[in-house]
Amino acid sequence: MNFAWRIYRRLAQAFPHEFKVAYGTDVMQLGEDVVDDIAKRHGAAGLIRLIADIAIRVPIEYLSEMRGDMRYALRALIKSPGFALVGILSMGLSIGLTTNIYSSKWEMLFRELPGAANAKNLVMLQQSEEEEELSPVSYYYVEQFREQKSLFTGVAAFETGIPFNVTFQGALNAKPERVFGQLVSADYFSVLGIQAQRGRVFSEAVDKPGDTPVVVISDRFWRNRLNSSPDALGQVLHLNGQIATIVGILPKDFNGALAVQPSELFVPITSPAALAPELANDVLHQRNAKEFLALMCLAPGVTIDSAEAGLDAITRRLDEQDPTVASRVDKGKRIILLSAGTNIPIPRKLKPALIGFFVALMGLVTTLACMNLANMLMARGANRRKELAIRLAVGAGRFRLVRQMMSEGILLSLLGGIAGFVLAYGLGVLNSHFTPPMTVPIESNFYLDWHAGVFAFGLAIVCGIGFTLLPALQTTKADLTPALKEGSMLRLPGYRRFGLRNLLMVAQVAASLMLLLMTGFLVIGISKSSSIETKLDPNAMYLLSLDPVRDGYAPEKTEALFEKISERLRSAGPVRSVTLAAQPPFTGEVEPTQLSAEDAPGSSRKQQPVLKETVGAGYFAALSEPMMVGREFVEPDQRSHADGSKILPAVLNESAARGFFGKGDVIGKHISGDTQSYQVVGVVRDTKDVQGFSQSILYLPLTSRDFARPPAGGITIMVRSDAGRDALTAIRNEIALIDPTLNIFNMQTLGEYLDRSRSHLRFSIQTYGGIGVFGLVLAAIGLAGVTAYAVAQRRKEIAIRTALGASQAQVLGLVLREGAALVGVGTVLGFLGAIGLAKMVSALASVFVDALRVGTGDPRLLVGAPLLLAAVAMLACYIPARRSVRIDPLKALREE
Amino acid sequence: MTETNPQKFLPLKSQWFQVLLSLAGGEQHGYGIMQEVLNRTTGKVRLWPATLYGSIKRLIEAELIEESDERPAPEFDDARRRYYRLTPLGRRVLGAECDRLQELVRTIRMKQGMVTE
Repeated sequence: MNFAWRIYRRLAQAFPHEFKVAYGTDVMQLGEDVVDDIAKRHGAAGLIRLIADIAIRVPIEYLSEMRGDMRYALRALIKSPGFALVGILSMGLSIGLTTNIYSSKWEMLFRELPGAANAKNLVMLQQSEEEEELSPVSYYYVEQFREQKSLFTGVAAFETGIPFNVTFQGALNAKPERVFGQLVSADYFSVLGIQAQRGRVFSEAVDKPGDTPVVVISDRFWRNRLNSSPDALGQVLHLNGQIATIVGILPKDFNGALAVQPSELFVPITSPAALAPELANDVLHQRNAKEFLALMCLAPGVTIDSAEAGLDAITRRLDEQDPTVASRVDKGKRIILLSAGTNIPIPRKLKPALIGFFVALMGLVTTLACMNLANMLMARGANRRKELAIRLAVGAGRFRLVRQMMSEGILLSLLGGIAGFVLAYGLGVLNSHFTPPMTVPIESNFYLDWHAGVFAFGLAIVCGIGFTLLPALQTTKADLTPALKEGSMLRLPGYRRFGLRNLLMVAQVAASLMLLLMTGFLVIGISKSSSIETKLDPNAMYLLSLDPVRDGYAPEKTEALFEKISERLRSAGPVRSVTLAAQPPFTGEVEPTQLSAEDAPGSSRKQQPVLKETVGAGYFAALSEPMMVGREFVEPDQRSHADGSKILPAVLNESAARGFFGKGDVIGKHISGDTQSYQVVGVVRDTKDVQGFSQSILYLPLTSRDFARPPAGGITIMVRSDAGRDALTAIRNEIALIDPTLNIFNMQTLGEYLDRSRSHLRFSIQTYGGIGVFGLVLAAIGLAGVTAYAVAQRRKEIAIRTALGASQAQVLGLVLREGAALVGVGTVLGFLGAIGLAKMVSALASVFVDALRVGTGDPRLLVGAPLLLAAVAMLACYIPARRSVRIDPLKALREE
Repeated sequence: MTETNPQKFLPLKSQWFQVLLSLAGGEQHGYGIMQEVLNRTTGKVRLWPATLYGSIKRLIEAELIEESDERPAPEFDDARRRYYRLTPLGRRVLGAECDRLQELVRTIRMKQGMVTE
């Protein structure tokens, strides 16, 4: 019984303060009165019941007090709507932005491939330490890698971004649709660890070379193109004019490995070449046809490093056996692995930088909002000091008051969380409207996943608690006596003291400057003349793409077809010129390659990365780009055969020419790559691509090989016409006259193409710019709050000074000096922080290098941003400071 | 303050009802309420201490009972204890609950009669 009584007493002590004050003694006494009786009547069961009763009651009382707190907080917020609005807006903006960044960028970069059981153990080959592109290998190498059972549980080969012209069964007259897919080895799905949601995936046991062609489709294809038909399995698709049977449907959201280029169709690499021209020439058995990406699943216990070492030795041996590979004597590693279980394989070196960048960005945004909230709550707490002091004096517990103030912060954060979630959703929807025109279309159905929601609300609550605790503790630490006296404001804490509030203010100025600069670097980097200066009216240039091979043309007949089409279009209407290209003009979406100048000065055959663009005869004339030196491609160049034995003519842009040959003469000089040599015939000026970058470009002539095997985007026909709006229809009709079955896609004016390419850039600029401005506004609000607080606190001092003859300017200066000091220190710290962060990020991540390199060198930003911030901050100080001038000394002093 | 409608408290929680009922006869302290309930129900219903004071707190917040400053005659007064009494609203709520229960009992009786016939 004694024991039970002790527990009872302990629990009675645990009631919340207010309850304890009101009923603590009574509960204790009643317990004491009845405990004997209960023990007598009910025995041990009764005592247990007694303890259970009080044990349940304690948390109930806490909950009910919390409910009371929340009600109180809500009432308090409703009473000061301005404070509430600013608080909710700032929390909402920060949570919204953070959630948006998280669910769009973070998820895209770091989410594991949906449905892939082996995602954690997947690796792919990277070109080299410097080059982050994936390295293709020949199928022979894949087979050799597959033998390494101690390193890998499986090695699959695949090719991605393969276009298929698809016609659906029963729709014979319908125009084929262009759908992108992958060519995969039979073990591809087992290496990934993917199961079909319906039907089956490929397996080595079932799918053998020479079987009737089969295809596995993605869930997206099934939903969008087959209307989720339950009879889809066994249905026949016409792929590039050939028949293939659907045998399986993949799980939801799975779009293949390298899902950044979503794939909808999966075709075995053992299919006949008629189904996929990529498989022509017996590519599987050609030892030097580096066409495939190797997807490897590490064996249990094997680390990336050990796999890398093992694979490096094997590759070295294979390279040495192969007489066609120029014997390289490099000592460096030949094999770099990167983990491939996410949408975009991120090089290992890059990953920490990327994560760091996003965490820093999200952290900055959140910290800013929280510091702002803390500042505001503190200023508010100061205004309520008298109220709090009275409550403390009449016996309210400090813990109780702290809790009440915190509940205000939590409520604000929660409301901010809701606002933020709405904002994030809105931004996401907007974002999905601005998808750039990619060769492989990406699906832009945006959704916020629950991770983002949980993240946002978790963040909100943590912020609410964390950043209201300190101010709450500080304001309830009031020394009661002076606070209760009328002259309470006379206490001079002095701005010289490095108090919590000043620390917060400096941190806020610094953080918002960092944010402003970082986002500014990106905005300037991205936008720096992302406007492309074309020398012609982009709306008088029409682009359309054809891929006759996939329409059933024999590869060797396509060249003649294009000649015929060009001929026909030239004679049709007011057409000024017609030219061909293997990619749309100004695209940044081409593969870079390493080339070296053969007869460079200094004979240093340094490898140089350039972008290869393949263009037809008269390309530059059609774009009104004059040749700076030499000539451009002519019809005979276009007819040449690129088989490695012949030297191809090439046109360089200025950057490339400078890179290879310095300032010297370039015409007639030679450049060589792994398998092909080029002779420079001309130089054109640098133009910026749609990403806003101007890079080294090597232009090559279209050859019969390109016609026979058009790239993923098809062959682009560029027509310059003065026909105005009807031109596209006229062109379409002309082509239909030659062959009505040809599938024309990506039909648009150059102007439309450029616009669409830049819309997502514009959107990112607006987003980043928005983040920067957001920081600026928050900093201003915070500063205004602090200054207003300081003025209120020094009312009496100011009154005395005015009474003694201080001028308005002197009083204003007194108040502003404090703000200026905070702003100054914050600006310096923020500036240093931003430069450091930019350096760190760009040193680690080449993704940002281009944007940051351009941005950090911009004096407008480096000088302008701190000035802008300082100006806004001082304005924010000035507005409340003006109030100090209006203090009536008589009134203020009479308040004593 | 406007008249509060007693109906909005109905049906009363059973502990609330017991407390109000014990106070119907006059003011009472916590221990007294507990004993009264225990005696009235011949030991079947016991209001445990924490629950009792939890209910008292809420009844006071709802303005159904209040602390009484009148003390009983000194020979009966337990100076350590606080006394509670019904407010007019509390009395009306108790009456309304009693009416509701009586109505319920009448209905049950009628049904019983039909069942036994």
